[in-house]
Amino acid sequence: MSAVTFSGVEKSFGSVAALRSLDLAVPDHAFLALLGPSGCGKTTALRILAGLELPTAGKVSIGDRDVTRLQPRDRDIAMVFQSYALYPHMTVYDNIRYPLRIRNMSESECRKKVTDVAATLEIGHLLDRFPRQLSGGQRQRIALARAIVRDPAAFLMDEPLSNLDARLRMTMRGEIKRLCHSLGTTTLYVTHDQAEALTMADLVAVMRDGVLQQVAPPAEIYDQPANRFVATFVGVPPMNVLPVEFGRDGIQVAGGVLGLSDDRRTACLKAGVSDVGIRPEDVELVAPNQPNALNGEVYVVEPMGNETLVDVRVSTGRLVVRTRRGFTAAIGSAAGVAFDTHNACFFDAQGLTRVHRAPSKGGE
Amino acid sequence: MSVVARLSANVRRQGEGLDLALPYLLLAPAVLFAFAVLVYPIWDGIRASTMSYRYGKAVGWVGFDNYTRLWSDPQFLNALWVTVSFVALAVAFETVLGLALALFCANEFRGVRLLRGILIIPMVITPVVVAIVFRLIYASDAGMLTVVSQSLGGGPVEILGHPARAFLGLVALDVWEWTPLEFLILLAGIQSLPVEPFEAARVDGASPWRVLLDHTLPMLKPVLAIAIVLRTIDAFGTFDQVFVLTRGGPGEATKLLSIYGYDTAFKFQDTGYAAALFVTMGLLILAAALAAVRIMKGMTPP
Ligand SMILES: Nc1ncnc2c1ncn2[C@@H]1O[C@H](COP(=O)(O)OP(=O)(O)OP(=O)(O)O)[C@@H](O)[C@H]1O
Ligand SMILES: [Mg+2]
Repeated sequence: MSAVTFSGVEKSFGSVAALRSLDLAVPDHAFLALLGPSGCGKTTALRILAGLELPTAGKVSIGDRDVTRLQPRDRDIAMVFQSYALYPHMTVYDNIRYPLRIRNMSESECRKKVTDVAATLEIGHLLDRFPRQLSGGQRQRIALARAIVRDPAAFLMDEPLSNLDARLRMTMRGEIKRLCHSLGTTTLYVTHDQAEALTMADLVAVMRDGVLQQVAPPAEIYDQPANRFVATFVGVPPMNVLPVEFGRDGIQVAGGVLGLSDDRRTACLKAGVSDVGIRPEDVELVAPNQPNALNGEVYVVEPMGNETLVDVRVSTGRLVVRTRRGFTAAIGSAAGVAFDTHNACFFDAQGLTRVHRAPSKGGE
Repeated sequence: MSVVARLSANVRRQGEGLDLALPYLLLAPAVLFAFAVLVYPIWDGIRASTMSYRYGKAVGWVGFDNYTRLWSDPQFLNALWVTVSFVALAVAFETVLGLALALFCANEFRGVRLLRGILIIPMVITPVVVAIVFRLIYASDAGMLTVVSQSLGGGPVEILGHPARAFLGLVALDVWEWTPLEFLILLAGIQSLPVEPFEAARVDGASPWRVLLDHTLPMLKPVLAIAIVLRTIDAFGTFDQVFVLTRGGPGEATKLLSIYGYDTAFKFQDTGYAAALFVTMGLLILAAALAAVRIMKGMTPP
């Protein structure tokens, strides 16, 4: 009963339009990650849902209640603020307990809940301190604890892991996912880290400049991005995009010719496709001057431990290739790259995806 | 010569002669001035408080006699009691009222800037002028209160001639004049509080009342303490308004320490006794301020 819906929500601050007509529905019990670059309006969307900001237009509902004009305290939500927003005059224990105290929970029950949450977030040893005696990452976990200690209709989390070190972030990622799953609480999770969005969420919503670009499950966001922005924002390293021309026997990319099936070719021509996109893991390195491959030069080789990223410059741009661990090549040496155009997607001049990656034929 | 040796030679040369004395020479005028206007008067007051005076002339050293005399002087004890109740009542009202106004004016709404400006006016009027205005309000024959009362069909209002009412009238004047100071300090304090914890509290489910009790007041404690200490110290020394309005009367009802001390020094020409009174008063204020600072420190978390 606590699906969250934005219908036609707009918000402008003076002349700055932070949200332009946001339509977004988070189904009950779902975990939705709101993903987008800095300044795209993620926090604004959360604040409107929390009731801290009035939308310029549109409607917000939680469950079947229209909450657009309700006070924050009447919305039954718990929020993790991007800036933590801890109570500076209270100890960590009192901070986490505060929402329970407001709800007149008995002291013994409070103590049990707070201790449990603190153990989950590895902050049990900090309970007697004051917020100013903590590091950024510790404060962030207190803010998280204060939210999840409750059992609200929805969790709103604004980049709750942004200040943690890499190891802790991985651990917490898993903990939050498990917790939200076991509580079954509808969660709106803001992040600009696409790995977090993909690994944690049931649904990912990608935003840019206040405009929602795509809402889909993580796999679909990754495999069938709605447009060039989503394709290049999601994935590390991002999808390679190069201009494409259509010749008689396939496509021409950076001087190389690659085969393309007839139906995809027809679809591309009909849609006025101008660019091709291919994920780094779908590109292969081959010997230079081979048929059905493009020629380029190794710009840099980056060993990642479990794999190697090779940045190849071709005549119309660059291509990042993800290849096996232990791969080496001299910087500046000639290289050939090739990919199966079934795995590519094609964008028109406006950046919309007109032809998607073909359904997986094994392998990836 | 090594670099280090050359550098240390430089340092030694720099610290010679005029270079060494210069800072003290530059400070000297300020220090002398401070001595002349601060230290000397205090010292002279303390010295006077240990002397016996007759007709305004010192006639001999009496040690701490003036001080011991104070504590068996019913007039002094009465003045002390009047002062403490005046200060407690006035500062309490001023703080509560100032806080309420500050909380209200911390919100943004149309005309709030103008309102903030208007609320400060009483504070910037010369105290004696305020006292004269209040005399016009309180006067029993043609004062504003009497006029209003008569137009409503009542009789003349007697304020300054009635002990309890005169006392409360002075408290009211002080509240009118000095609430703005508390308002100003507390408004600045409220506006410097971080915004996010309050947003968090609202999301956590706190009502405006709970937000005030659980967050605003605790976070405001240090500023509140400063405002109270400041006003308390200042209220102890209240003189001009009382002097203009009641001169301490009727009877002894509004005889503050400052008025009693003034009478002692200038009416009865007992300079030594008056000096002892004022030194004692200063020590009491100092003790109160130190205690307040102590409490303040205890209240703020480490
Ligand atoms: N109170 C405000 N007044 C004016 N402009 C604002 C205000 N709050 C946000 N904005 C603007 O609205 C836009 C969206 O801001 P928002 O805080 O929602 O971004 P965000 O997606 O959360 O970014 P980040 O990832 O950096 O936190 C930005 O251009 C920002 O400058
Ligand atoms: Mg943000």
